[in-house]
Amino acid sequence: MKLFSKPYQTNASNQPVIIVSGLPRSGTSMMMRILAEGGLPVLTDKIRRPDDDNPNGYFELEIVRQLKEGNFSWMNDANGKVVKVISALLEYLPQDHQYKIIFMERHSKETLASQKKMLDHRGQISKLSDEEMEQQFHHHLAALKPWLVRQQNMEVLFVNYNSLMAEPKLCCEKIVEFLDIPLNQSQMLAVPDTQLYRNRISIEE
Amino acid sequence: MKTLILGFDSFDPAVFEEMAGQNQLPNLEKFTQHGGYSKLEVCSPPQTEVSWTSIATGTDPGGHGIFDFVHRDPSSYTPYVSILPMRRGAAGEQFVPPYTSKTFFEETADMGYPATALWWPAMFPARPGLPVNTLPGLGTPDIRGQLGVGTLLTTEDEVLKKTTRVKWSSDGKRHFSASLPGPQTQGRDGPRTIYLPIRLEVIDSTSARLTVDQSQLDLRLGEWSDIVALRFKAGLLLTIHAITRFLLTSLDGRICVYALPLQIHPLHSPWHYASSTSFSKKLWKEVGPYLTLGWPQDTTGLEEGCITDDQFLDLCQSIFDTRIQIFDCLMKEFREGVLAAIFDDLDRVQHMFFHNRMDVVQDWYRRLDRFVGEVNSQVASWTGKDRYLILSDHGFSQFEKKVHLNRWLLENGFLSMKNGSNSLDGVDWSKARAYAIGLNSIYLNIAGREGQGIVSADEVEPLLGEIRHKLSNWQDADQRRVIHKIRLKHETYSGPYTRFGPDLVVGYAPGYRASAETGLGKVPVNLLEPNTDHWGADHCMDADLVPGVVFANRNLRDFGRVSFRDIPFLAIGKYLDPSNIKPPSHSTGEGQKDLEERLKGLGYL
Repeated sequence: MKLFSKPYQTNASNQPVIIVSGLPRSGTSMMMRILAEGGLPVLTDKIRRPDDDNPNGYFELEIVRQLKEGNFSWMNDANGKVVKVISALLEYLPQDHQYKIIFMERHSKETLASQKKMLDHRGQISKLSDEEMEQQFHHHLAALKPWLVRQQNMEVLFVNYNSLMAEPKLCCEKIVEFLDIPLNQSQMLAVPDTQLYRNRISIEE
Repeated sequence: MKTLILGFDSFDPAVFEEMAGQNQLPNLEKFTQHGGYSKLEVCSPPQTEVSWTSIATGTDPGGHGIFDFVHRDPSSYTPYVSILPMRRGAAGEQFVPPYTSKTFFEETADMGYPATALWWPAMFPARPGLPVNTLPGLGTPDIRGQLGVGTLLTTEDEVLKKTTRVKWSSDGKRHFSASLPGPQTQGRDGPRTIYLPIRLEVIDSTSARLTVDQSQLDLRLGEWSDIVALRFKAGLLLTIHAITRFLLTSLDGRICVYALPLQIHPLHSPWHYASSTSFSKKLWKEVGPYLTLGWPQDTTGLEEGCITDDQFLDLCQSIFDTRIQIFDCLMKEFREGVLAAIFDDLDRVQHMFFHNRMDVVQDWYRRLDRFVGEVNSQVASWTGKDRYLILSDHGFSQFEKKVHLNRWLLENGFLSMKNGSNSLDGVDWSKARAYAIGLNSIYLNIAGREGQGIVSADEVEPLLGEIRHKLSNWQDADQRRVIHKIRLKHETYSGPYTRFGPDLVVGYAPGYRASAETGLGKVPVNLLEPNTDHWGADHCMDADLVPGVVFANRNLRDFGRVSFRDIPFLAIGKYLDPSNIKPPSHSTGEGQKDLEERLKGLGYL
């Protein structure tokens, strides 16, 4: 495992694990990059390489996919670091750690449009229509969020992707306040890239 | 950790939303702007003592054992007040705590922080072993060990249902004397009431001088006296102390003085009144005298015409003012831990005025809002991590008709009477299959559980289904449903005490509530009876119909439905019973597969 490290260092054993979560294509990779630029150490193995869908990289740790199977070996090294965990796997995080979760939210139609493109690129075909998938995501989030905010070992900050793109300074300030860690905000602010905000819908949609 | 909790008993979300919409409650309305307001799902049944205990423990009644204001002894079918249980021990009969389940106050103390609970129901008697400061609320008895009724000293032969009536002896046109009945002691021939001589001298048409024990009080017509301490000599070495307030209610031909129920004197309580003793004494000395009865707002005195609406409201106001003084005293020194205070005057005001004087009720909502404004300014300097909650135990509803549930059980063949009796004594237990005791409770007469039970284990489920079905379809003459929902015990409760609960929890429809007679297991002649009492509104309906409120200095939107089970978490960041929090994959059903398939397709699984 190789760490994409930055200068921020502290007594990590007392620190919560910082999780970036959300639905796929809700801006989780961008948030990982923002935090990395801010100076937080990031847990990533870079197995998943940058591609057209994520030209700046996915910032993923492959072994996290085995959370449901109970593989927590990577957790030993996770305190005080940032790791990406998609929303569907949050409930499998071990209870004996403290977490600060930055949960990305994005307009569902944008998320679906982005996912559809990614599926196309990967040569995958969805069995469900966009409407049906939107409904499933709606149910998933409706069940997940009340569970998430009730977890005693999890603190959650919901960050709206669309607001982040519109007002990055305000969002970054909220993130720094939530994490309660001194971060390099000017570097963080340089990350949101409107060029990569490709599946934009008008607010009326 | 630092958490402040204000409990506004019976604060109703519908009234709040309507008044907030008219900008009448600006301080509470502020919470809505950041998502810090929600209706609160309350436990079933939505009774004050049940609900506040469920909030404190984060469990339903199955987790703490208080199911109704009235419980019954299954062996004898005898009803008793659930929050004032007694046990016979070496030192005679003593009050024992109505429940022992862990509260978030105790959890706070375990975490190493101070915890204070003011006027929280079902916290009498105090448990000196617990490191929680308490002044108990509902369930604190009078000096006689009962829930407490006042005394009317009068020159007339008035008939009163509950209030004690004492007749003045005339010692001349302007001088009257009587004996004020006090606590009882156990004599050789049974209980013996101790009396105090009391004298009244009429000064003029609006004032009189009352002499009792060592006190001489100048009473003005229609004005409550200050709190008075009285001493009842129970023997050579034993003096029982009490406190009360007097009210000169009439000097116009009829000479009447009303005395509030004689209450525990916190400095000389025969029982463990508060925890710690020094805590209650400190407040008495620093703030001044305060009433101690669990229900100090004398609704019985008002119901029976001993005091007027205005005199009742004056009493509520003075109780509220005193509690605020005590609260302010503790707020000044509040640095960490939990400080919780319940203000229950609104509940009493709504019971008496919600049905016909919403102006009075709305005044109290505004009063509470002003108080919140004062507290908000004190809390403004707190850090973002400090917690601030305002909540109620339930809302409120109309109470137009009294339901005699045992009559319904009798007429539908579930209950059987031996003769024309209308009380539990007259029930033919050899034929009775179900009976109602309490305000929302039906019990089956189960063999092996009840003293004379006849319903076998095999018959339980079909019988529950039959009663539930028939009761759910009960309609009033105008086709209105009497019952909103019937809940089965095992559907409603979880926890170690579930088996002691009622077999069916009766959730009345709006406008209906169990009669007081039903509460005691009686069987009056009618099924339904119009409620013409001053007590014209209530909350003991179905829990879904009378949600409470919760305001918080945090966003509550993502909680979905905020429940009483969430309060310990919102208060101290910890669930006392997390078993009801189901992982999201458990509630998304078949959709979970579609979700996982999509995630695999995208390379995330």
